[in-house]
Amino acid sequence: MRNTKNKRPISDKLKENQSYMKDRVGVGTSFDVGYRKLSLLKKETDLYYLTGLCDSSLIVELIKKLVEINDNESNVRKLADIVENRLVHQQVTRVKTMDEVVDQLLSGLIVIFVDGVDEAFIVDVRSYPGRSPQEPDTEKVVRGSRDGYTENIIQNTALTRRRVRDERLRHEIVQVGERSKTDICISFLQDVADEGLVNLIKDEIKNIEIDGISMADKTVEEFLVKQGFNPFPLVRYTERPDVAANHLLEGHVLIMVDTSPSMIITPTTYFHHVQHAEEYRESPVAGTFIRWVRFMGILMSVFLLPLWLLMTMDPSLLPEKLQFIGPNEEGNIPIVLQILMADIGIEFLRMAAIHTPTPLSTAMGLIAAVLIGQIAIDVGMFSAEVILYVAVSAIGSFATPSYELSVANKIARMLLVIITAIFSVKGLVIGFSLYLLLLTTTRSLNTPYLWPFLPFDYKAMIQIIFRVSVPLNKVRPSIVHPRNAYKQPKD
Amino acid sequence: MEKDKSLEQNQRAKPTSLIGNTIITGLVGGLLWSFFGFLSSFFNFSKVSPASFILRPWLVTGWSDGFLGQLISIVVIGILSIAIAIIYYLLFKHLKGIWPSAVFGIALWFIVFYLLQPIFPNIPHMTKLDSDTVVTTICLYLLYGTFIGYSISYAYLDKKRMKIYNFRSIKSKN
Repeated sequence: MRNTKNKRPISDKLKENQSYMKDRVGVGTSFDVGYRKLSLLKKETDLYYLTGLCDSSLIVELIKKLVEINDNESNVRKLADIVENRLVHQQVTRVKTMDEVVDQLLSGLIVIFVDGVDEAFIVDVRSYPGRSPQEPDTEKVVRGSRDGYTENIIQNTALTRRRVRDERLRHEIVQVGERSKTDICISFLQDVADEGLVNLIKDEIKNIEIDGISMADKTVEEFLVKQGFNPFPLVRYTERPDVAANHLLEGHVLIMVDTSPSMIITPTTYFHHVQHAEEYRESPVAGTFIRWVRFMGILMSVFLLPLWLLMTMDPSLLPEKLQFIGPNEEGNIPIVLQILMADIGIEFLRMAAIHTPTPLSTAMGLIAAVLIGQIAIDVGMFSAEVILYVAVSAIGSFATPSYELSVANKIARMLLVIITAIFSVKGLVIGFSLYLLLLTTTRSLNTPYLWPFLPFDYKAMIQIIFRVSVPLNKVRPSIVHPRNAYKQPKD
Repeated sequence: MEKDKSLEQNQRAKPTSLIGNTIITGLVGGLLWSFFGFLSSFFNFSKVSPASFILRPWLVTGWSDGFLGQLISIVVIGILSIAIAIIYYLLFKHLKGIWPSAVFGIALWFIVFYLLQPIFPNIPHMTKLDSDTVVTTICLYLLYGTFIGYSISYAYLDKKRMKIYNFRSIKSKN
């Protein structure tokens, strides 16, 4: 991928370097590439920088120190060493090729060429535009830390490091994208994470051949997990550093992509998508309660509608005690169509709400509730019960912590409704079995997707069903194949 | 500093043995899928319920078809499933993937509904069952077989893989 072109060494003639910079980088044409000429001990010195990504005050400070060379030094032959010494910054490197120079310059570092020296000095004066850590909108908690990852990969590694000050925490960085040259960081605990998994991820990332990954994490994910036609999310995202650190300690491998605040957690199973940081901020019993309610919501979001549809299609299936279920009047449209229309209608509303500014969306919610809900029943389009069940399953979708999972479940629900409408009991039973079997055969980075339910692992399953208190939770989950299974330090 | 062993955080978790895992998988698989069997008979998907295998053939009382009868049957099936799980562990644990275990589940269905059917006087011959019952029970047996079989073979193969892996990494260090 990279290194295909021959690397061009830096010339000791300043003119050659200048013309190279002019042709390759467009100094003088691109207005964001800046250029400053200095004269040090009667030798010409060039300084290149990228206007948007540098800290000007730092550059001014460096130029001051460089110009002072003229007042205090006289040995022209040692100019290179003197310059390096006078660059008062902790991150100064010497490079020998123009390719490195261009890469670094376009990342926002400044480059200094000195006439007669076949090396360039690179100083890290980057200051990227960005926001400071904020609580992520999608993963709010009542209590707990309010910081979240940002679009800046350096800040993100720092936020992680704040929580795991372990010398064995590794942040390995690679660049991906022939044109975008995006930084991707792979984080893991060296003595815990599965070596095979780390190598697999590194290989997959190094083999990405693309000109740019502007959609950052999502693009990387698609190269990583070979999604195909499977709608289910094969990796988990988080914007919370505490969640990320917790997974690191469990032996997971994180992937952070520059320009995205979402970390990719691997390996992931279905049940990673149904947990939420909130549960770990409550007492174990309360956390378990919340989790069960959430599971009920998720189950209902998938299976409630097809089951109810079956009962209305064939009321003889209903047990005696549940005879009250089923619409009193059928309405003018078949129930299946009513369900599908209502479900798609809710999807319209959800999509519209995302794009609508907040003040308008309140009004939109009102229209939705009053007009569409009530009047559709009054004019005889929908029966009241359809609205009830569609609403319950929609709320179930919203209770799913992972947005990606809720969308995938929505697709599964619609397919189940259709197959139930066609094949009735057999349709629902076979659809249910297929849903489970397809999820079971799904593998994300060699991890069975329904673990620990299928294949069954009772210890891990207990962790899923109950929110176990942290002191009792002594071993790392076996699914990450930790090299060291015990969480407590050895005696 | 001496650690207080009575504190829960100072006790080490014990690693699971494969056979222990097999037994628990069998028990949970039996309980879970016979519960689904009960649900499917509750919603009249199928004419047979856990109790129609375990209790009804020899006990035709009012309660044996009610909730209590179903509950007892579910527990009994759970215990019987331990034996099924051990059989799978002994014979098929090295088979990879979920399909062998799915076939195992369907084979179990044939054994129960065809070979063992004469034992259950209350269950009609498989050709006389209605199609909903057949499809529902086959699906349940398939999921049951997958649950037990795939879990056992996954645990076995995973342990084997980790052993080879650990051996290699120790070797490469020396």
